[in-house]
Amino acid sequence: MSDHPAEKNERREFLKTAGGVAVGTAVGGVALSQAGMAGAKTEPGAEGESDPGVQYGMVIDLRRCIGCHACSVACKAEADVPMGVARSWVEYTEKGQYPNVSRSFLPRLCNHCSEPDCVRVCPTGATYKRPQDGIVVIDQGVCIGCLYCAQACPYGARFLNPVTRFADKCDFCIHRVSKGLVPSCVNTCQGRARTFGDMNDVNSEISLLMSKNPVSVLREHIGTNPNVFYIGLDSTDENTKKPGQYVRVTTHKGIDKKRG
Amino acid sequence: MEHHLMWSWPVYWYLFLAGTGSGAIAVSAFIYLRGPGGNYGERYFTLAKYGALIGPLPVIIGTGFLIFELGRPFRAFNIMTSNFWYTVFNPSPMNYGGWLLLLVGGISVLYAMTFLDWKRYLAGGLADTLVRWSDGARKPLASISAPLAIATAVYTAMLLGAMPARPLWNTPVLWMLFTISALSTGIAAIMLANRLFHRKTDDSKQNGLFHNSGYWLTVSDIILITIELVVIALFFMFAYVTVQDASHAIKILLPGGELAPLFWTYVIFIGLLGPLVLETFFVIRAQYSGGHFHAPYVFEIAMPMAVIVGGFMLRYVIVVGGQLTGPIGL
Repeated sequence: MSDHPAEKNERREFLKTAGGVAVGTAVGGVALSQAGMAGAKTEPGAEGESDPGVQYGMVIDLRRCIGCHACSVACKAEADVPMGVARSWVEYTEKGQYPNVSRSFLPRLCNHCSEPDCVRVCPTGATYKRPQDGIVVIDQGVCIGCLYCAQACPYGARFLNPVTRFADKCDFCIHRVSKGLVPSCVNTCQGRARTFGDMNDVNSEISLLMSKNPVSVLREHIGTNPNVFYIGLDSTDENTKKPGQYVRVTTHKGIDKKRG
Repeated sequence: MEHHLMWSWPVYWYLFLAGTGSGAIAVSAFIYLRGPGGNYGERYFTLAKYGALIGPLPVIIGTGFLIFELGRPFRAFNIMTSNFWYTVFNPSPMNYGGWLLLLVGGISVLYAMTFLDWKRYLAGGLADTLVRWSDGARKPLASISAPLAIATAVYTAMLLGAMPARPLWNTPVLWMLFTISALSTGIAAIMLANRLFHRKTDDSKQNGLFHNSGYWLTVSDIILITIELVVIALFFMFAYVTVQDASHAIKILLPGGELAPLFWTYVIFIGLLGPLVLETFFVIRAQYSGGHFHAPYVFEIAMPMAVIVGGFMLRYVIVVGGQLTGPIGL
């Protein structure tokens, strides 16, 4: 295997030696940011693979999520998000018949997709995917607030900010990330469910977590290639439930309770 | 059913107004370019004039609504100016639409101006100059207006259809539906003007021409309504036989769906089937009686009104329904 130092093989080699160390490690904010973001990139593959660059992403381990909404609150405070709208929110899925019931939590945010449909429909070019780190941002100096992007987003991550009157959404706390910190929701997460880092760096904590766990994304069939991954995702929905099954989804997103 | 809609009344009013306006412009240009040799005979100029004068205002008002709907209306021209080269090749339908509406707004106003009776408003040399300009410019402007108006009607559907996240809109049938509906409501607006502005006269030749033009407008409307019904059937078929999101989204319009009462009552029965049955009855009666096409005044007003109401409710149901439905699954 070591004869072909392609990225895939390197990762496999590394995982063998690293064993299960990384997952058990506490996800300390600053420690993570240094490991995952300080540009400690592996060499590109020997077969002429180009450097894929940095693509920030997030893994949310739903087995560790306790539905405390601390991420929503931290985000609200950090980004000064007005009342009635949310950049980050938590959804509840309740299902089953008593006494066989369960409630699972689903923290939501912008997926910073690799094929973002919001970018494709923007008429002014105000929203774009940053080439240096893959974060989908909105240039508030250009945005006209037409909400085409909000219609095109399959995840309902975008909204019209009622104060600034621009399209708004999660920006992975770009102001923190650019200073080597993790996003505010990751920093505050009580169950340490959130992991943030460079998905293209095979040695980053987030890559290790993704290598060792079955991960899934939301609404994969739309084809936007999200960069927010979930471990232990229950994709039961009111629209896809079996006949007679009780399912209730509560979004806590804002004034619009309906999932769009 | 209180819902928070990101695109609410300005958008469906825009879709209706721009559709009807561009339909009227297109029909007017078709009738004018066909000239006196067509079915409308010597009355072609009057009908083309109605369409040309009706068309521009709804398009411009609708565009105004769209700008009003923006979070930052005063930045609307960012669509054209944010970055010239990027903007020109920007694949966003709203970018094409911005340029298109700018063109249609300007050219349709010029086209309408060529039909004005300048001598009535102005005196002296200016009126003569404008009359000479009108006679020269009318035909080229009609030739440009027709494709631009059709493009506007198509664009209104393209705007909605570009997003996989809105399965009800994301169908290649939508542009056919909106374009046919635009032409149909455009003809209805011309029919309405034809009836309302017709002055009673004893001149049997003029009366004959009026009835003849009413006959051919009605026949055109019947053809368009029939095509629209086929396209609506295709719209349902396409969504219903798709396995995932679209087949779920279409349930909102099928019996039992949230918008089904509005859709079936106003769009299908009042907007399409009602006018179709009445218009067919009067056309067949005219053919069998061998005489002039004639319908009671009430019906001649009610039929195009019903078509126009149906056209509005179609836009309303599609715009609202598309936002109430989304992809299935988490």
